[in-house]
Amino acid sequence: MNASQNLIQRLPTELGGLPAGPIERIEHQLLPWEKRCHALADVLDYHKLINTEEKRCGVEALGGEIVGALSYYERWIVAFANILFRKQLITPEELAVKMDEVAARHGREENA
Amino acid sequence: MNMTSIGGIVKADGEASRFHAGDRVAISTRFPIGHYRVPLYIRGKTGVVESVTEPPAVNNEEEGFGRNAGMKRHYYRLAIPLAELWPGYTGSANDGLRIEVSESWLERR
Amino acid sequence: MHPHDHTPILAPDEAPGYYEVMETAVRELLIEKHLIGPDEIRRQIEVLDSRTPALGAQVVAKAWVDPEFRARLIANGRKGCEELGITFYDDTELIVLENTDKIHNLIVCTLCSCYPRPVLGLPPDWYKLKPYRARAVKEPRKVLAEFGTPIDDDVEIRVSDSTSAVRYLVLPLRPAGTEEFSEGELASLVTRDAMIGVTKVSTERRNIQ
Repeated sequence: MNASQNLIQRLPTELGGLPAGPIERIEHQLLPWEKRCHALADVLDYHKLINTEEKRCGVEALGGEIVGALSYYERWIVAFANILFRKQLITPEELAVKMDEVAARHGREENA
Repeated sequence: MNMTSIGGIVKADGEASRFHAGDRVAISTRFPIGHYRVPLYIRGKTGVVESVTEPPAVNNEEEGFGRNAGMKRHYYRLAIPLAELWPGYTGSANDGLRIEVSESWLERR
Repeated sequence: MHPHDHTPILAPDEAPGYYEVMETAVRELLIEKHLIGPDEIRRQIEVLDSRTPALGAQVVAKAWVDPEFRARLIANGRKGCEELGITFYDDTELIVLENTDKIHNLIVCTLCSCYPRPVLGLPPDWYKLKPYRARAVKEPRKVLAEFGTPIDDDVEIRVSDSTSAVRYLVLPLRPAGTEEFSEGELASLVTRDAMIGVTKVSTERRNIQ
């Protein structure tokens, strides 16, 4: 299979057998937002809004560059946003407006 | 009490497992794009069914696109020697992979 | 390897990062639209925080001292854990993989990060990163050696790669010299890494990891 086909036929998240270096024993305590993000995945699954397989599919669909650049939970939250858009449960505009509002809150608290 | 099965019962498609423990099976060599749950490194390889996973379940590859209904199929826990998967494998000849694969991906060998 | 492995701890008055803002915004929108309830995230965090390797260690210790429980656990891992009150909130099934003198089991997910979360809690970063996920299925002996766990040639290694709704938990060998240990003392020997299969249980270790 040529290089272009390989990009399409191998999901960016599939790693079995690929060349890789030594295993660094990295662990970190989840940041509060990461814990909330994990909890969000479970709650979305309970409600059948986004099941586990849809989440995996959503992360895969981010493509290799984004999968490589974002951390584990960063990939999840972007995937959730994309899936929610596709299901027409939220719109990109709604999310953008809400994100500005959330970001501005911290600014207001700082200046209070 | 030893009950024998009642005769004349017809099972629905997919209720009975197509393969059984001990069967030799091969993993299909198709290459779906978009989403899959069968790793590339086992495509086309042959293994032995170690056990049948019960009960049959919805095809998880289709679940990735929000489809959580449809015909249920069995998954099978396969044993595949690592020496068969990786040319020049230097561990023991008895070292093996165990992996669950959907019936839709298997052919009898 | 991407640059976010060593995530810095934010100072309390630091502005939330881009992805934290996104998470907060998604959550609030879903609550506003009544798609999820306002307390569900907090409740699920409590569920997650209650699932640690200590649960798995108790399952292992009980299997070591109670042969009938062990048999039930091997026959159906989820049902065995449920006997101890460990619920499977993610609706996965569990296969408990018995290590013996001749068989050593190891678990991995090469496609994503499947892990027996209901009974072990959340996986360590290294389990989710490329080196482990790429190499565990191809050169398990070298991987195990990197964890300080050399395996004799006459021992068979079985690597279980999770791909479906079934999860795996390794039931490690009970170390020698523990015949007089209580179930609680036995549980305190069992580490998370032993239940993944990258290490063995020894009497030298007394903490849960």
